[in-house]
Amino acid sequence: MTTDTLYTEALARIASPGWLADGRRLALDRYLASGLPDTRDEDWRYTSLEQLERQALRIPDAGADTMLAIEDYPGALMAFADNRLIWQDTRLPTRMLGTLEDAEAPVRYGLGTLSEDSALAQLNLALWQEGVCLHAPAVYRPRLPVFLRFAAVQAEVMLHPRVLVVMEPHSDAILVEHYLADGDAPHWQNAVAEIFLKPGAHLTHIRLIEGGEGATHTHLVSVHQGRDSQYRGLTLSLGGRLVRQDIQVTLADEGAEARLDGLFVADGRRHVDHHLRIDHAASHTTSRTTWRGMASGRGRGIFDGRVLVRHGTLQADARQDSRNLLLSPHAEIDAKPQLEIYSDDVKCGHGATVGRLDEDALFYLASRGIDPATARDMLLLGFADQALGLADDAGLRDWLQPRLAAALPVLPKAANTREVRP
Amino acid sequence: MLTIHDLHVSIQGRPILQGIDLAVKPGEVHAIMGPNGSGKSTLAQVLAGRSGYEVTRGEVTYLDHDLLALAPEERARAGLFLAFQYPLEIPGVANVQLLRTALNAVRRARGQEEMDAFDFLEYVKDKLALLEMDDALLYRAVNEGFSGGEKKRNEILQMAVLEPRLAILDETDSGLDIDALRVVAHGVNVLKGADQAIVLVTHYQRLLDHVVPDYVHVLSEGRIVCSGDRDLALELEEKGYAWLNDEAAHTEPHP
Repeated sequence: MTTDTLYTEALARIASPGWLADGRRLALDRYLASGLPDTRDEDWRYTSLEQLERQALRIPDAGADTMLAIEDYPGALMAFADNRLIWQDTRLPTRMLGTLEDAEAPVRYGLGTLSEDSALAQLNLALWQEGVCLHAPAVYRPRLPVFLRFAAVQAEVMLHPRVLVVMEPHSDAILVEHYLADGDAPHWQNAVAEIFLKPGAHLTHIRLIEGGEGATHTHLVSVHQGRDSQYRGLTLSLGGRLVRQDIQVTLADEGAEARLDGLFVADGRRHVDHHLRIDHAASHTTSRTTWRGMASGRGRGIFDGRVLVRHGTLQADARQDSRNLLLSPHAEIDAKPQLEIYSDDVKCGHGATVGRLDEDALFYLASRGIDPATARDMLLLGFADQALGLADDAGLRDWLQPRLAAALPVLPKAANTREVRP
Repeated sequence: MLTIHDLHVSIQGRPILQGIDLAVKPGEVHAIMGPNGSGKSTLAQVLAGRSGYEVTRGEVTYLDHDLLALAPEERARAGLFLAFQYPLEIPGVANVQLLRTALNAVRRARGQEEMDAFDFLEYVKDKLALLEMDDALLYRAVNEGFSGGEKKRNEILQMAVLEPRLAILDETDSGLDIDALRVVAHGVNVLKGADQAIVLVTHYQRLLDHVVPDYVHVLSEGRIVCSGDRDLALELEEKGYAWLNDEAAHTEPHP
């Protein structure tokens, strides 16, 4: 069966209200016109989705029991397992945090308006079942972080989680998306988040991607920022066999600021690809991108960040940094920060480094009695830890750090482990 | 405690140390002085086990160990400590984490129980006070953004936490103002005991006003050309190092 047939049949099995059904069919047609992106496309030259063609992925059975214990989350949680809402915290009213079908925002803003260019987002628009709308009213500032948990439980399922965020003027929220899987069975999560920030709105948006050896994770985040709004995104790609992250930010009005932090771990045979597009479409806009990566084993990490400063804008201020650790001779990292500037009045800079663990620092730790394996772990964790600045601000470091520590690459142990007594 | 015999060391084929003999007993303070490029820091690094140095001849015995056969971490666990001339900055690793990990590695080697975070804070508090350091330094990344003086104090804090048998202080006085020098020297003096030995590697004698050496050795072109007591350091201060080459032939090195 071709994937086209697969997706068409999947759509036939999804029950939707009429106003959604039309949009789904249209989106599927758009998807079918282009198909899965392939490596001939410049934006996909590093990443092939070929394996999706070989897997007979399906929409999960509606009736199947999804047994997956939910750990504690330090905030208001909505949890999904295989497309089913299995938990919803009631501390936030459902008109602020609820399912997409029941929300009013999609009707007003439309779904898919920020993600029309992406074939994968079109497929998501056709097939999404787990949908969430976070709609913060003007000047609303809940201090409670909102957690969305998307888990793949059954083998060989495809999930298309969809999130719509509308932050009304001067609202401020913390949103955490957590993607994970039960075991290493093959599955695909193809997520889309569309985010509207109205004037003066702030959003801290943390995404944690975990998942086993069988996980394919594709993800588009598209952010549209109004005047004086602030988007602070932290992307942690810690698991999954193949991860492709697309992040598009449009700084559409003056004073808009985006900070994009990221960290990826590409160990074993994992392939992790990040594409960022930051569009300075208005004057006096600011963007800061700091991406950290580490690759070991036969892992491969890609950072492709493009900053566009439009003609006619004044005083755009953009900075991109990509810092990487290459931990094995068979691992690979491609770091491509790019600036595309069509204005004379800008302040822009970018930099990329790919290095190894610092031998001098390793000796320093060894000279304090610390064995080589522990010393390397300390340096790796130290490197990764510096990506957690936004988590600090959100009070979520303690939640993230153990997950980060658990995801660090395990390096080959040194032979020398003798103990010497004084 | 430490016996160095006929030690020759090269870096990339270039001889740096050319026959060092030195014996350090428990309770002693030795100062190794000498002009820049004489091999002082090389000696300190080789004793701590840094790679990149080639020992072409000679041996080093520390307690009952063949020191040169031990990995750097094994030397540290056996009670050897090097205070670095240029302490490393380690972004993302908190000072307290390094201190506790190091202490527990050393304690395990001594057959002692590891210290948990709570006991460790109690333990380190006195050490901080000794070096007149602020608690906040514990939670900052190791040496990152520290002033030169703070870095040197931090080295001695590590020494205070690890309680080494043999401490080698490599140019610990450089970059210290007079107040910091006094604090660091006080710390070293407090840590010094009948069982511990200290080797001070220094270009100038000013640290020796505060930490008084039992022996002073002068290193020149990879050899100890002259040994004496504290007065030798004062003499060097007065005359500089230039006269050494003439006198070297007449002076017996310390055994």
